[in-house]
Amino acid sequence: MAIEIQPLEQFKIERLIPIHIGGVDVSYTNAAFLMTIAVVLVTALIVLGTRKRALVPGRWQSLAEMSYEFVADMVETNVGHEGQEFFPFVFTLFMFILFANFLGMVPYSYAVTSQVVVTFALAAVVFIGVTIVGIVRHGFHFLRLFVPQGVPVVLLLLLVPIELLSYCIRPFTLSIRLFANILAGHTMLAIFAGFAASIGLLGIFPLAINILLVALEVLVAALQAYVFTILTCLYLSDAINLH
Amino acid sequence: MSENRPPDPLARLGEEIDKARAERVRRQPAVGDRSAMQQGLGLGVRIGIELFVAIVVSTVLGWAIDRWFGTRPWGMIVLFFLGIAAGMLNVYRAVTGVSGAVGYRPPNADAAAAKSRWDDEDC
Repeated sequence: MAIEIQPLEQFKIERLIPIHIGGVDVSYTNAAFLMTIAVVLVTALIVLGTRKRALVPGRWQSLAEMSYEFVADMVETNVGHEGQEFFPFVFTLFMFILFANFLGMVPYSYAVTSQVVVTFALAAVVFIGVTIVGIVRHGFHFLRLFVPQGVPVVLLLLLVPIELLSYCIRPFTLSIRLFANILAGHTMLAIFAGFAASIGLLGIFPLAINILLVALEVLVAALQAYVFTILTCLYLSDAINLH
Repeated sequence: MSENRPPDPLARLGEEIDKARAERVRRQPAVGDRSAMQQGLGLGVRIGIELFVAIVVSTVLGWAIDRWFGTRPWGMIVLFFLGIAAGMLNVYRAVTGVSGAVGYRPPNADAAAAKSRWDDEDC
C-alpha cells in the first residue's frame, strides 16, 4: 500500500476565478481567497467585538481590546509616544499576519504567508514607508543614519556601504524570515503525516511527533507575527528617533 | 471593606480599577520577566536568518551589478564580503540590544527619556 503524499502540494496556487486583464493574469486564487477571509475575520473581530462598548467587556470585546493593547504597548515601548500615529498601520499589519498564519494552521486551508510574494509585498510596504517617514521627518539628515559618528573619514569609505547594505537588506530578512518559517513548518508537518500514513501501525510514532509539531507551529505562527511587527516598530523607531 | 464607598456602582468599579492598576504597577518586575522571555524568544528567532540572508542578498546584488556594468567578478567579490560585514553587524546589533541602526539607543528607556531625547534634537 503506497500512499503518495506530496509535501509541497499544499502550496500550489489554484485559480478560483480566472481573470485576465490585458494579458496580465490577475485571477482570484486560493491564496487571495484566504487573505480575504483573514481581512474579513480581523474586521469582524474588531467591529463586532467592540460594538457593544460594554464597560465590563465580554469575551469578544476582551479579545479585541487585548490585541489592541498588546500592539499599542509594543508601539509605545519600541517607538515612543510619537509612534502612536503609526499605530493603525502596525495594528493592521500584526492582525493580518497573525490571522493569515493561524488560518494556515486550519486543515485543508492555505498558508498564505508561505508565499514569498505575499511576505515580500508586506515587507516592501514597511521598508518604503519607513524610508519615506524618515525622509519627511528629517529631510537629508535622514542620511545620517548611514554615517557612524566618531569614525575617521578613511573608515567611512568602508562603513557607509556596509551601513547602506545592512539597511537595504531589511525587507529581505523581514520577508524571508516569515515565509521560510511558515513554509518549513508546513512542509515538515506534511512529511511527518506522510510517514504516519505509509508505515502502518508504527505510524503512531510520527503521528505523535506531528501532534507536537502542530503545537510548535501554532507557537511559530504567533511568534512570527510578533517578530514581524516588532521589527516594523524598531525600523519606525530608527526613522523617527534619529540621533 | 470601607464604609465611605460611593453608592454608584460605576464609581465603585472605577475605584476598583484604579486599585488594580496600582497593584499592577507594583507587580511590574514579574510582568517584566515574562516579557523578557517573550523578547528573548523573538530575538532568537530573528537572528537565525539575519546573517544568511545578508550574505545571499548582497552576493546576488553583486552578481547583478556585474551583469549590468560588466565588471565581473569584482562586484560579486566585494559585495560578498560587504554582505558578511553587514550581516554580522545586524546580528551584533540584534544581540546587544542595539537594534536598528547606528546610534540607536535601547528601547526600554521610558517614554519620558525618549521624549527628552527627542526635545534635545536640533536637527
